Amino acid sequence: MILPGRRVVGGRAEGTVLASERALSFLGGVDAATGEIRDPESPIRGERLAGRILSLPHAKGSTVGSYVLYGLRKRDVAPAAIAASRAETILAVGAVIADVPLVDSVPTELFVTGDRAIVDATHAAIELPDVQERSVVSCFLERQGRVLVVRRSEKVGSFRGKWSGISGFLEGAEDPEVSALREIEEETSLTEVSRIARGSPILSRGGDTVYRIHPFRFHAPLGDVHLDWENVDYRWVDPAELPRLDSVPKLAAAYRATLA
Amino acid sequence: MDLTRDEERLLSEGTPAERMSMKILVTLGDVYGADRLIPITGAHISGASPKTLGDAGVGFLEEFATTARVRVRTTVNPTGMDPDRWRELGVPESVLRTQERIVASYARMGVEPTFSCTPYQIGHRPKRGEHVAWAESSAVVFANAVLGARTNREGGPSALAAAVVGRTPNFGLHLDENRRATHVFDVPVPISGYRLSLLGLHIGEIVGEGVPYLRGFTATEDELKVFGAALASAGAVGMFHVEGLTPEWREADTEALSPLIIDEADLLAARDRHSTEGVPDAIGLGSPQLSADELRAVADLLGRYRPRQRVFVFTSRAARTDAMDAARRIEALGHVVLVDTCLEVSPMELWARTTATPSGKGAIYLPTLCGQRVVLDDLEELLRRFA
Repeated sequence: MILPGRRVVGGRAEGTVLASERALSFLGGVDAATGEIRDPESPIRGERLAGRILSLPHAKGSTVGSYVLYGLRKRDVAPAAIAASRAETILAVGAVIADVPLVDSVPTELFVTGDRAIVDATHAAIELPDVQERSVVSCFLERQGRVLVVRRSEKVGSFRGKWSGISGFLEGAEDPEVSALREIEEETSLTEVSRIARGSPILSRGGDTVYRIHPFRFHAPLGDVHLDWENVDYRWVDPAELPRLDSVPKLAAAYRATLA
Repeated sequence: MDLTRDEERLLSEGTPAERMSMKILVTLGDVYGADRLIPITGAHISGASPKTLGDAGVGFLEEFATTARVRVRTTVNPTGMDPDRWRELGVPESVLRTQERIVASYARMGVEPTFSCTPYQIGHRPKRGEHVAWAESSAVVFANAVLGARTNREGGPSALAAAVVGRTPNFGLHLDENRRATHVFDVPVPISGYRLSLLGLHIGEIVGEGVPYLRGFTATEDELKVFGAALASAGAVGMFHVEGLTPEWREADTEALSPLIIDEADLLAARDRHSTEGVPDAIGLGSPQLSADELRAVADLLGRYRPRQRVFVFTSRAARTDAMDAARRIEALGHVVLVDTCLEVSPMELWARTTATPSGKGAIYLPTLCGQRVVLDDLEELLRRFA
């Protein structure tokens, strides 16, 4: 898949991703001679930056951290490129003086250490050639303030046994709402639902796939739910319970997106 | 960002250091949404001690300095040691050599060798409305809040780039709308002296990157210095207002904000978060560096209480010259007055393991930069307790 971003410092690089979920302090957090991550609180402690595609939310700590990036480049142990959620002064200045390609406004939570990445900072895009993007719908049927969740069967291709909204892949280039209505009818046998809200898509990483989730909320008419083979159980729950369910990724976030 | 023809020329045809400086400013301007570069009247650079700069920074400065020359009045932060006292105080010679490389690089670029975190108290004092590019968070907040000058919280490298170009990107605290209050605090408790440090720590932790507006007290310039330093260390604060006191309080636009009330418990909690119970083996004063007035007051107090702990007093060369008599009195009592350096970038770890200080900024940085345990309290109280 290709992730668009914003060019901060141009250039192009290929490499293997080193993904830091947390902000990184270059002064003190990185060994200035070897590029090894030293910060004891960092989940990537012990990893080395040399030649990697570093992905991180943003830098933190002293602004002198920019000089560390420059020193790493001089010693040939700098990252090949950087992808950030938000470039700030430390990263932006560091990338300029070290001449390291830097793209920001990228959803770096989708990156996993070990991904192959091609950073084209000049054209503000990052390609993850081994990661595919698939569009899915996630639908919440609402009745008397409660929403329907279903438990996925052992026969489906992913997230077996997890609680989920009514979901399914988009077929070809179809309108997400068309697939939403199709999936609801297939999985619940309910027809005559009426749309309450459609949320902005959210992205979620699972294995080698990034799911682009299109969230919907529908009003469900009276009538019994009849499950098909894809699900084995269903419940009407208070939306506040969603974060506590053993669910597919981002279920509560998808619901919240329909409220915005 | 729109560049003038002169700026375009500097970006493509300037010296290597000028091209890099332009690229830094243009990149920051684009990242933060500036429309253009604006001229500055001065710059103040941080990153002059081996401790804060590191080998990588020293290497960068040396190379950069070969083709860089500052275009505006530029001062620089404290170095890591007093050049006349290092041997006597046990600073390794290798650190001195690194320090000399840093000092030589700044001199080559035309930076004034002030080695002070209080440029505004030694003659580098921009006027209300002047745009500058200052690093050093305590100086930034003083310039904006107390002088009414305009600067973002620059880092060392971006302030240096601005000094070389004579311009800075127009965003953040250069613009009226970002200088207005985001929080209002009523301060009904007595506030003076070191209690301004506690107030700064408390409010900085609440407002983060915001602009606090305070009412209910007045303060001297030295007290505002201490307050701002703690505020800007505890939060990423670059501006504040004090009603009836600071120059822009009338433009702070507080109408829609509901006030938070400061009480005694807030101040005590701020102290407890940053202070330990230990017995200090040194007292450290001068974060930020003491003014001539503060030096005189300290000399009087030390003469009265005669503490057995050694007191390390950090000041600027210029302030010591102004208050030479006070500096001599302090030294005659067996204490040390150091210039060109400050409490946190000096090698305090060579001289103490637990340092007592009234400075809120010192209390934040001494543990990480100097490996110190900190006792945070009023100076007179410390002298009474430990003398």
